Order: sequence, then structure tokens, then C-alpha cells
Amino acid sequence: MSEVPMMDAAGREAEVTSKRDWVPINLDLRDTWFPVAYSADIGQGAVRRIVHAQDVYLWRDGGRLYAAEFRPDRLEAMRAGASAFTNGSGFYPAVERYGYIWAWYGNPDNAHEELIPNIPFLPPDGQGIPRYTQRAVRFDAASPLSVENLIDLTHADFLHANAIGDGQSENDVVEVHSTSETVTRIRNVTRKSVAPVMRWIGGVRAQYQDLRAVLHVHLRNNVCISYPNFTPGYPIPNVQPFVPVGKHRSRVDQTNYTVHAPAPFRWLMPRISYVIQPQDNSVLRPQNARYFESTERRDLSSRFDGPGNRYRLLMVRLAERQQRGDFGYGADADPSADISAVLGMRG
Amino acid sequence: MGRWWVVALSEAVHGDKALAVTCEGEQLAVFRDGKGAVFALEDRCPHRRVPLSPGPVKAGGLQCPYHGWTFDGATGLCNDIPNLRRDERVPARYAARAFPAAEANGFIHVWRGAGTPAAELPGASYRAADREQTGSAVANIAFEQYLDVMLDGPECLLSFPGVHITDFFLGDPRRDGEHLVLDRGAVWKGKGNGPAFVRDHSLWVRTRVPVTGGDIRVELLSADEDPLVTIFIAASENRRGTTSLVWRGFRHATAAPLSWRWRMARAIGRAPFAIFPHIDGAAVAALEVAPSRDRRLAKTDARTPAERVVPVQERCAV
Ligand code: FES
Ligand SMILES: [Fe+2]
Repeated sequence: MSEVPMMDAAGREAEVTSKRDWVPINLDLRDTWFPVAYSADIGQGAVRRIVHAQDVYLWRDGGRLYAAEFRPDRLEAMRAGASAFTNGSGFYPAVERYGYIWAWYGNPDNAHEELIPNIPFLPPDGQGIPRYTQRAVRFDAASPLSVENLIDLTHADFLHANAIGDGQSENDVVEVHSTSETVTRIRNVTRKSVAPVMRWIGGVRAQYQDLRAVLHVHLRNNVCISYPNFTPGYPIPNVQPFVPVGKHRSRVDQTNYTVHAPAPFRWLMPRISYVIQPQDNSVLRPQNARYFESTERRDLSSRFDGPGNRYRLLMVRLAERQQRGDFGYGADADPSADISAVLGMRG
Repeated sequence: MGRWWVVALSEAVHGDKALAVTCEGEQLAVFRDGKGAVFALEDRCPHRRVPLSPGPVKAGGLQCPYHGWTFDGATGLCNDIPNLRRDERVPARYAARAFPAAEANGFIHVWRGAGTPAAELPGASYRAADREQTGSAVANIAFEQYLDVMLDGPECLLSFPGVHITDFFLGDPRRDGEHLVLDRGAVWKGKGNGPAFVRDHSLWVRTRVPVTGGDIRVELLSADEDPLVTIFIAASENRRGTTSLVWRGFRHATAAPLSWRWRMARAIGRAPFAIFPHIDGAAVAALEVAPSRDRRLAKTDARTPAERVVPVQERCAV
């Protein structure tokens, strides 16, 4: 039995949020960078990606990267129909970093590179990120519901019981921190039984290990940066950017940066998403459809939903701010600030 | 005022698994406790809205597959949230929506709507008198249309092997309480010169279709009106214009003189009827709206005394 004491503040927030209507499907937050593709996936041929139901065509030409509203062969003919997202030019601001292509979603005048989230364990120029760390998975839900699923720790014992282990531990403490643009969930588990996958192919011979898992979520673009660190063992840092395809689907180009883990765990671990993801989808798909119902029945919560409800509250606040026409970043927000201390990275 | 609906066959709900069904367009999770009692909950967890039906049945009720909240079948009350401390309680108002459930003659019923559940269950009118054939399906036709077609052209919805159901109905539908009853002629296939040359039909097909609700009874009768086959079909609205069907039926061990085909079919254990899950759209579209007019009238003009809408006849005129 794991014990998850929650801070009182989170409990109070849970109450506040439950009084509001949470409509994850309608959150369309702007002025942010979306990692729409792995850099390595884009060559000369145009690739179509979608952000909030809007086309983003990506290709390279003469060493230059293009991110456009239209296919290159139709660009000239259609440019007159270009939107405010490209200031009518047809081209989105785009930058390459951490092995991703980041496309700007919002007013191009506000596209500053300092708003790209810092990912301290990945090389900024993307050089040397092995392909085996990169897996694209698709979720059958709007991005915020998928993010909520990631923040939520209590479902693992039920939905992922077979993949993740028995969840037994001596002590399991969760805390939440937030800014106007991020939620950080820190989980400290002492003396948990070593996950089978780590024991058999991960070279961890001990029976018990401690886990400190930090999940850092950027609200606008659903970029989830995660740093689970196992002792004895090693960290398995990963990035899961939930790019909102539309109201029903999201796409995640994951980077499971296992390069410092022993072989063959290093290569096999990134594949675990193919086991976990269908399990999550089995609940996310019907769940998403039910958030379209206009209903007076609000979700019920327990104190274990503290982190998730904090996330809901902050998302709603951000959405309300944007509805009022305020797309700026608050004084407490600096996406590109170094978060290695937040993640608890060693050295 | 609410009503009982048949949502499942008794034998379809067993063990520690729930059955997902749809009734009046709403998704329900039906399950049994350790003692065999049946329960029905809305197939929606009040925590984060996921369907409850894939979850396991526990001692306390049905457990949600997502975070393990457990709901009592009779009241819907949440009686367990995993990992709560000993001194913590689940808030009293935390509950899934529960529906009264009851069982009769191999059918599981759910009470939907206002009022105290009626004492009489639709399935109570059915009694199997021989080896049964049972089934369930989702038919590609809307619920009200299914009832209407059962009057206008039941041959589009079901068949009796070796039997040609004609569209010569006898008289108009007769009102019997909440149901309309209609007989039509039928003949053995491959016997004589075909239905058009028959002076008197050798068989009758009697359909008993509800004005409201979903309990249908279909009987194949001999010329002397002895029942040869009885089928009870429970229909209810499924999603996207489809219809949930659940049925039980049997061939009567009858002494009436029968065709050699019929006796042969019985000897080799061939099914005495078939209910179609896939309905021929062209055939249904081609049907003239005929006896079902009376059903629509009875439905919309509920204030008019039943006798004035549809003449009551004791026996069908032949
Ligand atoms: S959604 Fe059912 S327990 Fe959480
Ligand atoms: Fe999950």
C-alpha cells in the first residue's frame, strides 16, 4: 500500500476546481512553441503535422528548414489564404533544438526563442541523440486529458499493474509546485520493489530501490519533462510533448533518453510505451468523448487528485487570461531557465 | 413514469466481470455479486468519467479500471478509494448512478425512469416449454423502426426455416393492453404452388408489438392456432440509430401434424428460427407503412381510449 499524503493547499484547490467545469477539449492555448517533429524525420519531402487542427507542413530545401501552412507545391497558389498564425506569409516561425523542430503557434510577433522549454539532459543542438530513444505514439484524447493521465500516479496500480510492478513500497510522498506556466510533481518513494524490467534486463540486482521522480509540465504546449531517478540504478530522463492534433487526438514524439543506462535496457526501455500507451488509450478514448457532454455533473475528486486538479486549475486560469486577450508570460515564468535543479539532476 | 427494460440474457452476466449493455441509448454496466444478485450501474465513473464495465467485480461492488474506486451495485455509493488512510472516509455523496435490476425467466431487467419499479417484469410473460435457443445482437435499424417493421414486415427481421411469411395480414392490429397483436398468413416453402395459390394459409405468424417499451413476442402457429415456435425478443434503443436485441425462443413439442421438413429439422436439432442482426435496408425501405400506423397512432394519441383507436377483436378474421 502506498501512502500519498497531500499538502493541504492541493486539497483545497481540488475543491475549487471541482466547482468549475473542466472542459479539456476546448483548451486552445496560444503563443507557444510546439515540438511538431523530430529533426531527423524531416528531409526534402514535405511532411504534414497538425497543431490544434491546423496544418503545419515541414520540409528542407537547400539546407533551410521550412514550416508552412500549405504544401510547398501549393504554397504560391494558396498564400493569399494564409492566416494570422503566419502573419499572412504562410510560414510559421520554426527553430531546431533538442532534436526537435519547434513551430510557433500564436502571433508570430511574439515568437522568441527564449520561450522554448529548457531540457537540460538533451544536447541543445540535437547532435548525437540516438534514434532508438525516439518513439512517436498517438493518444486518443485531447492533449490536456493525456497530460492529466501522465500527472496522475494512482492509476498505475490498476491500469498498468502488469507492466510496472506491484507498487509496494515503504513510503511514497508526492508534492506539487507550480508557476503560472508550469506544474511540477515530485514523487519520493523509498524502498520500493525493483520493477521486473529493471531487474531482468536493467542490471539492477538489488531487491529494493528508492525512486525520486520529477515531472515538469509546461501548460501551454503540454511539453512534459520527466526525470525519474532510481537508486540503486540510474535516471531514465524523458520528454513527452503532447502535441494537440485536435479535440480528440494528440501526438507525442517521445525522447526516452536512456543513453546512460546499460544495454540492452537502453534499447528496450523506450519500447515500453508500446505496452503502456494502449492501456492508457483504453480509458482515454471513452473519457474524452464524455467531456463533450454538457452535463451538470462535475467530476468527483480525492486528495490523490491534488496534482491533477492543480493542473486543471492552472490551465483554466491560463485559458481565461488568454480569453481576455492576455497572451503574455508572467513574471514567474521563464521556459528557457535551466531546470536541472528542479529535476534533481546529479552533478 | 419509468419502465422495466430487458437488457441482457441471464447467462450472459456471470463471474467477476461486468457486461456492457445499452438501453434507451444509455450505456450501463450489469454485474452480479457473489450471491448471484444482479445490479446495474451507469457505465460512467463519477471520478473521471471512464466506463466502469471493463473493471473487475469486487466484494464491495464494481471497481473502476482506472483508479480503482469501487461502487456498490444497489446504491451506486462509492465505498472504496484505494490508499485512503484508516481515518479517512469516502464523502457520503460520492456515487455512480444505480438502476434497480431484476431477473425473470432468463432475462435481466433494468428499471429506468421515475417512480417505484413496477411489480411485473416484461420477461415474466415468457416461459420456455422446451430446449431454448437464445441470443443477443445489435441490429442496424433504429428502435422505433424495429417495432414498426415487426408489424409491417417481420420477414425483414427474422425467419423460420422452411417457412414463407406472407404479407397478407389478417384484419388490423388488435389492441391488447400495451401491445398490438397482428396475425399474417404463412406457408411451408416448396409445398404446393406458392403462397399466391394457397386457398387457406397453413401457418400463421403472430407478432405482439409494444406501443411503448421493447418486449416483442413472435409466434409461429399451425392452421389450428397451435403454437409451433415462440420467441420473446427484447428490443431497446442503442446508440447511433441501432437497436439492442436480446431473445429467447423454443420449438413446442407439439402433436400437431407437421411437414416432413419440420420433423426433420427438429430431429437434427436445427434452429427453429433466426433473428437477423444485419437487416436488409432495401427490403425495409420498400415496405409500405401499414399496420404500424396503428402503433404510431396509439403512441401519439395516448389520451384517446385504446378501443377507439384500434378496434378490439377477439379472434382474427380469416
Ligand atoms: S475514473 Fe474511475 S476511479 Fe478514477
Ligand atoms: Fe498511464
